[in-house]
Amino acid sequence: MSPRLPSPLPLFDHALLCVAQKIVPCTQREEWLDSWRAELWHIHHASPGRRPGILRLAVDLPLGLLLDALWLRTHSWRRTFSGTPTLCLASLQALCLLSFLIALASYGGWHTLGLHLSRQAEHCLLAAPFILFVSCATATSHRIERTSTKKTVYWINRQLFFAAKTSLVLLLAFLLSTDLSRPFYVPFPTGADLLQILFFVILALVSLRWSFFDQEQRCKQCLRYLATPARVGRPSHNLLEWNGTEQICKQGHGLLSIPEMESSWRQSSQWIDPPSGWNEPASI
Amino acid sequence: MSPPRLSHSAALILKALSLGYCFGFDVMEVTGLPSGTVYPALRRLERDELVQSKWEPEQDASANQRPARRYYQLTREGKAAALAATERYPLLARLLPEKHS
Repeated sequence: MSPRLPSPLPLFDHALLCVAQKIVPCTQREEWLDSWRAELWHIHHASPGRRPGILRLAVDLPLGLLLDALWLRTHSWRRTFSGTPTLCLASLQALCLLSFLIALASYGGWHTLGLHLSRQAEHCLLAAPFILFVSCATATSHRIERTSTKKTVYWINRQLFFAAKTSLVLLLAFLLSTDLSRPFYVPFPTGADLLQILFFVILALVSLRWSFFDQEQRCKQCLRYLATPARVGRPSHNLLEWNGTEQICKQGHGLLSIPEMESSWRQSSQWIDPPSGWNEPASI
Repeated sequence: MSPPRLSHSAALILKALSLGYCFGFDVMEVTGLPSGTVYPALRRLERDELVQSKWEPEQDASANQRPARRYYQLTREGKAAALAATERYPLLARLLPEKHS
């Protein structure tokens, strides 16, 4: 719908609408323009007692118009990127950068920080086998999978994403341990080195555990977060039937069924692909 | 399901809509809230399905020689939320006058 205006809008409003419409996503632009054109027309043609003052017309309304356009844009981004692997990796990169900048500021320059990081990286590498052993021993990520050429592509994608995410969380753990141990370097120079290794081990264990958990909560095909968890079965009937939680991929790629308790007939989470042709219209 | 927790401004906007103020400028005028608060809040309320919007019929607007407006009205959940907000913030009922059409 496109309301026709009985008289044109003032030039300032017209120019403002032209600029702000660029912020609005294309699919919603026309409706947004229509509703704001009508809204502004009514404001300018309100009865003298109701007409807003000059300040409100010049400052408040343009601000509202811009914020409305920005809300639509951010909402559209939120819907597009929410739960995606891109957002996950971008957030981790941003955190790494922030952590690095804090370290740079606290050590006072590239050279000092570089020397410190290279020395501490060697120490932290010594702790790596322990961290890997504990993380792999406690991770439970077995799934029942069917293999096909198509699935292999998804498997490679999953492993690449997992590798990138794990590298980033380990880097973040290392940088955070540097930031956290920095205040102890002046009073206890020797103890601070050990403290940093301790911080790194703790943070790396936590972050690796998160990395495994996060991987389990994602769709096997598109790697987005699974949604709409639903309880299935009753815990009191555990010996008689399966019970647990089911999560579904919003894009319809499948279903993850997570048992409440490990039993002999269901020891781990199971990924269930949708049956072929499930999303095609039923033929009558 | 319990009604959602609303901010003061969202509760004020819901209350205004429940009293018959049904478009952006009308709500802005009666609540005294800036437009930068009212319009994004209306979008959020619509996203949360507390409010739904519809265009005024073109014929009605043309008959009055003005462009059609976008009207907002409360949904069933919105009415419940407005009621809960009035109970939570009793001052809301005294802040906003009933609309005289």
